Amino acid sequence: MIRIEKLISRRGAFCLGPIDLDFRGSSYLTILGPSGSGKTLFLETCMGLITPESGRVWLDGKDVTDIAPEQRHISYLPQDLTLFPHLSVRDNILFGARRRQLQKALVESRLANLLDLLEMHHIIDRTDVATLSGGEKQRVAMARALLPEPRLLFLDEPFSALDATIKRQLQVKLREINQQLGVTILHVTHDQEEAFLLGEQLAVMINGQIRQVGPRDDIYYRPATLDVARFLRNQNIFDLTIKEILPDGSLRLENDICLVAPGHAGATPGEQLATGIRSEEVVVIRPNKPIGPELQENLFHATIVDILIFGGTQTLCVRLNDSGVTVNAELPNCAMRDLGYAIGDALQVCLRKRSLWTIPLDAGAVTRKVHDD
Amino acid sequence: MMQRDSVFKITMLLPLFILAGYFLLLVGSQSAFFNFSVFMEQLSRANVLSAIALSLVAATCSSAIAIGIAIPSAYALARFNFPGKRLVDTFIDLPMVLTPIALGTLILMAWNTAFGQFLANFGLTLPFTLAGVILAQFTVVVAISVRMLKATFEQVNPRQEQVARLLGCTAFGSFIHVTLPLARRGILAAIILTWARAIGEFGATVMVAGTAKGQTATLPSSIYLAMSMADLPQAVTLVVILIVISLLVLFGVRMALERKR
Repeated sequence: MIRIEKLISRRGAFCLGPIDLDFRGSSYLTILGPSGSGKTLFLETCMGLITPESGRVWLDGKDVTDIAPEQRHISYLPQDLTLFPHLSVRDNILFGARRRQLQKALVESRLANLLDLLEMHHIIDRTDVATLSGGEKQRVAMARALLPEPRLLFLDEPFSALDATIKRQLQVKLREINQQLGVTILHVTHDQEEAFLLGEQLAVMINGQIRQVGPRDDIYYRPATLDVARFLRNQNIFDLTIKEILPDGSLRLENDICLVAPGHAGATPGEQLATGIRSEEVVVIRPNKPIGPELQENLFHATIVDILIFGGTQTLCVRLNDSGVTVNAELPNCAMRDLGYAIGDALQVCLRKRSLWTIPLDAGAVTRKVHDD
Repeated sequence: MMQRDSVFKITMLLPLFILAGYFLLLVGSQSAFFNFSVFMEQLSRANVLSAIALSLVAATCSSAIAIGIAIPSAYALARFNFPGKRLVDTFIDLPMVLTPIALGTLILMAWNTAFGQFLANFGLTLPFTLAGVILAQFTVVVAISVRMLKATFEQVNPRQEQVARLLGCTAFGSFIHVTLPLARRGILAAIILTWARAIGEFGATVMVAGTAKGQTATLPSSIYLAMSMADLPQAVTLVVILIVISLLVLFGVRMALERKR
């Protein structure tokens, strides 16, 4: 559906790319990256608003690199929505249909469907878009983008200015739109929760480069580079060396701590690895509690040194007794209430082998550089 | 704290009231020389009516041409990057820093070249012609139009134009359907101020088109002529007419800008 080949684009001193991407077989694609990573520039280049320095853009199997933006049949929802302030709500929504000279009966039918889908009958007759709330503006901008029935809908952090409740409502609505209207969506965001909630396929963009592409679980549990791991809030990352390759292909790793991690092709003893585990994957075990066979490996006695309380979760910062290494473990509030932990309490933590990821440290200068930051 | 605020307010307000009082003095002092019956008698004179008509026609034509050229020029300066942009941008300001007399001289000298001769072959001559008045006023006011309109277009979010493009507009279509409507109040203010500056233009007009009564004598040049012949009633009448027209225009600008807010 969307294929990008060796795309390079520039804005001032910032260089995007070269980017190679091939999103096929899924209808909701998310590009996740920190602010300033080049996400908007990428969208603008794909939409034809910026001429790339080199590379090609294919949409629906057609090379559109040299085609004018209005002929690409893409609709765009920018971060600031940019409703036309000189037009009423209705005229804003009908803007694209009028420019494309769609039949009136068709337009009225689509408008009625969208008003139902987006629950916006009560605002359609407003003459001044400045009187709309943030959520209402969002719905008007969405209806305006969807009415011409584009092949692709590009979203640039569309919910960033909304409060959490409305944001969640609209995220759910967006999934509904994607499924009901069958429009393929390319959504760029820095919001990880939003990206994982909505995207079937994800790409992580950092410093103008695509670092990793794949299904959400791959991105979440198996980061390809250290900067992806860090951006995705992997808090437990260790520099380790392969000491031994075990008969089952697993790796025995050593440095500050000793771990057994899943093996990978081409692993050799002496190779340096970055190894990590998400804090919510760390298993916390009360002292004297019986331990199942799968938790016997990578099991450590530890002491709680801090407890960080977030909205629905808490993070236990524990120091491993043997090595002094600090590990973060995230638990839901209800579990914490049951366990009743306090700073100074003793416990056991297990860094389950299946939850560990490894990245060879000689995999590339970029990986090393980010690791050194 | 409150006392400091009061001192600050007075510091800001005092020069404003002094300035307003000074202008009131300028306008009010005309009353000693103003006589309504003389005013009406002057208004019936052919050369006065001709000066009013010429001023209105020439200012309208010159400002229309200036705005017509300034809109695309200002948009290009506001939106596009091209080699030599800074140089062009600076060069266009030239009429704003040169005195109108010098500008008039430049126009006359330019018309004295092969280019001027070429245009003269088509009957386009400047001395003592309406074309001369219009060209002189255009040259003086076009830079103001470009400057005002550039600021206006810079305030229009380019993202609006991009969204319009993706909704099916061509570049020209997005300019017509989005940019111009969003810039309309700024354009209106530019039209009014350009026109006001054109109707008050004196130096370049006199240099280029002269002050032939009934032919090229505009309101400002007629005031100058009346004063040079010590015809105070006529001078005051023309000044009052110019004041009335100018106040109407300035009131229009203020209304336009307040609606913009």
